[in-house]
Amino acid sequence: MKDVKAAINKDRREFVKKVLRGSIAGSLFLVLPMGGEGSIQIPEQIPGIRGKEYDMSKQRFAFIVDITRCIGCGSCCVADKREYDVPDGHYRTWVERYIKDFDDNVYVDCPNGGLDGYQKPRTDIPGKIRDTFFVPKLCNMCERPSCVQVCPVGATFKTPDGFVLIDKDYCVGCAYCIQACPYSARFLNPKTKTADKCTWCYHRVRKGLLPVCVHVCPAKARKFGDLNDPESEVSKILASPEVITVLKPDMGNHPALYYKGLRREVV
Amino acid sequence: MQSYNTHVKRIVLLLAIMALVGYGAKKVLTPSTFGEYGHYRGAAIEKEANRPLKHMTNYSCKSCHAFEWEIHEYGKHKTISCEFCHGPYANHVKDGKYVGRLPVKKGLEIKTLCIRCHNKEIKARPKDVIKTIKMPDHLKSQHVREDHICNQCHHVHAPLRYINRAKKVLGLLTGKEAGNEGR
Ligand code: HEC
Ligand code: HEC
Ligand code: HEC
Ligand code: HEC
Repeated sequence: MKDVKAAINKDRREFVKKVLRGSIAGSLFLVLPMGGEGSIQIPEQIPGIRGKEYDMSKQRFAFIVDITRCIGCGSCCVADKREYDVPDGHYRTWVERYIKDFDDNVYVDCPNGGLDGYQKPRTDIPGKIRDTFFVPKLCNMCERPSCVQVCPVGATFKTPDGFVLIDKDYCVGCAYCIQACPYSARFLNPKTKTADKCTWCYHRVRKGLLPVCVHVCPAKARKFGDLNDPESEVSKILASPEVITVLKPDMGNHPALYYKGLRREVV
Repeated sequence: MQSYNTHVKRIVLLLAIMALVGYGAKKVLTPSTFGEYGHYRGAAIEKEANRPLKHMTNYSCKSCHAFEWEIHEYGKHKTISCEFCHGPYANHVKDGKYVGRLPVKKGLEIKTLCIRCHNKEIKARPKDVIKTIKMPDHLKSQHVREDHICNQCHHVHAPLRYINRAKKVLGLLTGKEAGNEGR
């Protein structure tokens, strides 16, 4: 801690910049400067990330979406759009509404990706409604990602800590990956002219913060955590007798995104 | 004098030059961190990891808005992010200084905001996760005019604050709930 203090005293502004950029490894707090003197320390949301060197090869994360808790408010979609300035009409994460009637017809809609929430019930369904539920979707962070396989320039890749990311400086925008993704998680960003998709907020996770959609979810329908930590919520859920499934298991992609309470109608 | 294998020498020379140029070009054009972890630029990972944060946490608002934070933190709405209702931290504060105004919803916008999460008409809202209401029945049951906005009775940051206080005064709250100041 002593050398950190020395670094602060040397050049406060530079220090703060470094911390914000995350380049001082091992600092226990995310320190935010306060105008003039002093600073505030943002407590970590994922225990065990800060305070030590981040070893990429030793990390394992999982994301769990609890269908039985989602209320379809669209907080996640709003936060995601703000965090990444996602252009209108494109979605890194979105929330679908499934409605099932007594004849087992399934109606799916997703107005504006769920960005405005679901303010009104659907009135165009002829039969009697049996069940309504919301299904949040995002990148599945596959163990065997088909998007990585098809990229001709090595611009999309799987990191040693299990995140599938995009190298925006190298992407040529050929859109092969967009076609290859079985979950339609990718899109061509009209601003950068490159492929784009959900990153599980890699920059936040590396600073010990939860992905922004998880952080803003008021219903705790989205959960993210460290699988190496047996005390984390995701470890406990995955070890419990709950019904946990992934989307399209037959595709052989082995997603790291799990769904709790998923109905078989969901594709 | 031209020997009979000059053309072979030329081809070999040409191939050697091409191989050298190719090798040189690959050296120059391949980014230094390519292949560090796999068939991609290792530096791209750090670039993504250093993307500037736009959202912080509710705690980040505490230092300047201790009053609102305190109410929110101990109220029923503690699971909602300040930034969902108001906008991201980065639009508001930079380097510890106030740089821009965050929007504050007023009037009917507040009603739209509340109904977004609390509308009973949307059936898929599990009771143990969130309590929902039907409009205008909710207002009718309180015997008020239908143009009342939610925040006339509910504190937006801690929706049961006033209501529990009123109940406490009327002696309707007992036990644990009465102890926590009607939050
Ligand atoms: C560096 C201190 C600081 C921090 C940290 C801070 N604010 Fe503020 N905030 C201010 C100041 C100063 C004002 C008053 C601006 C004014 O009166 O025009 C303000 C005003 C506001 C307003 C009212 C705007 C209005 O016009 O009435 C809201 C809402 C708000 N902040 C939300 C937040 C939220 C949410 C956070 C956390 C993400 C936050 N603030 C963090 C300094 C801060
Ligand atoms: C459910 C959405 C919601 C959340 C969550 C929320 N606010 Fe607000 N906030 C509002 C609304 C709506 C208003 C306007 C209140 C009114 O007019 O009655 C407001 C007003 C404010 C104001 C301005 C007060 C004034 O009198 O002008 C500040 C400051 C503020 N909020 C800060 C925060 C902070 C800090 C947090 C997190 C700890 C937070 N808010 C969380 C909805 C929210
Ligand atoms: C982002 C979604 C969201 C928004 C917007 C929202 N709420 Fe809530 N509200 C919740 C959740 C989730 C709970 C339940 C928290 C819990 O029980 O842990 C809740 C709880 C409540 C409760 C307490 C219910 C009880 O008896 O436990 C009231 C009252 C309430 N909200 C009113 C409002 C009002 C009024 C507004 C508009 C200012 C509003 N809510 C906006 C999500 C929301
Ligand atoms: C006239 C005052 C008043 C207004 C206006 C009002 N409420 Fe309420 N609301 C109450 C009271 C009082 C209760 C507590 C009822 C109880 O505990 O029996 C309540 C309870 C609730 C609950 C919890 C319901 C439950 O089952 O426990 C929710 C959710 C809620 N209100 C949302 C809203 C929303 C959203 C609005 C705006 C559209 C709103 N309220 C407007 C007075 C009001």
